[in-house]
Amino acid sequence: TQILIFNIFVNLLVNFLQGLRSNIPSESPTIFFATPTKLVSESNAPVEYMGANKVPDLQRIFQASEEIPVHLKRGVSDRLLYRTTMALTVGGALYCLVALYIAAQPKNK
Amino acid sequence: MAHQAHAYHMVDPSPWPLTGAIAALLMTSGLAIWFHFHSTVLMTLGLILLLLTMYQWWRDIIREGTFQGHHTPPVQKGLRYGMILFITSEVFFFLGFFWAFYHSSLAPTPELGGCWPPTGITPLDPFEVPLLNTAVLLASGVTVTWAHHSIMEGERKQAIQSLTLTILLGLYFTALQATEYYEAPFTIADGVYGSTFFVATGFHGLHVIIGSTFLAVCLLRQVQYHFTSEHHFGFEAAAWYWHFVDVVWLFLYVSIYWWGS
Repeated sequence: TQILIFNIFVNLLVNFLQGLRSNIPSESPTIFFATPTKLVSESNAPVEYMGANKVPDLQRIFQASEEIPVHLKRGVSDRLLYRTTMALTVGGALYCLVALYIAAQPKNK
Repeated sequence: MAHQAHAYHMVDPSPWPLTGAIAALLMTSGLAIWFHFHSTVLMTLGLILLLLTMYQWWRDIIREGTFQGHHTPPVQKGLRYGMILFITSEVFFFLGFFWAFYHSSLAPTPELGGCWPPTGITPLDPFEVPLLNTAVLLASGVTVTWAHHSIMEGERKQAIQSLTLTILLGLYFTALQATEYYEAPFTIADGVYGSTFFVATGFHGLHVIIGSTFLAVCLLRQVQYHFTSEHHFGFEAAAWYWHFVDVVWLFLYVSIYWWGS
């Protein structure tokens, strides 16, 4: 998986160095975009306003064809967040059951 | 995903419904534990889990729509139905609190002095801060419509500016309402007047905060080029929600602040 992610980043770098082109993908035919984004050369406004458009790159990452579910498709940070959430879920559920069990005990006078 | 022969979205398996359900369990049990045993650990854990679930679930929806292209026209139609049904359910939620208000205020009991506002209650002047709040929310309705048209016309800078203005107006409303709450001469414990006033306006304020947050997420997405001039349903959903919040306020203002004084 790490090699795959590395490959994706190498592709990103190569595409970036080749300059912004129109959105026709150069390799996989399964990649598609909702609507074509504007070419930088087409805009009359200043080139960038509040950052560059990273959506095509993200579209490439998320449309890479391995069978990773969408909630883990970004790699390490997704896994970290998922595992933290799951740990809190399972731990919390157990803690809750224990707390409710204790709460259900009759009070001894 | 690659070779589906239909336009619908078969989602990847996701853990977030489970984590969300456990979060609800933890928050509700945590509330009971807080009331009886003075410990907020369970409830806090539930809240954290809720925030983590919301963040990751909605992040995944953005990934599925904007980055993977799953939100085809039929899928978007379903999302529209969903948002409209959700807002309708919220309308019914508020309807209940308006029912409670009118039940108590149309036929005030002898215990209240047979009048509304009840004896001893000094209501807020509807032509001071509440009127300003009305103007603020109406203005925010204009700016959010401006933002929508800017997005549809591909005007990136204007969309960002008008959306920011909308959010600022929402925050201004919240700040004004907070000071009103602080300065009010009556509390939630002051009989049925206090109960109906603070529960109805309180839930409304919570919805303003939720709506402002939704719009803020849309602002972030607009800056990051997620919206196109043809496809920006996330923003439309936020705008619908915002208009709903505005309309609820108008009913609150006319019923509780104005007629109810």
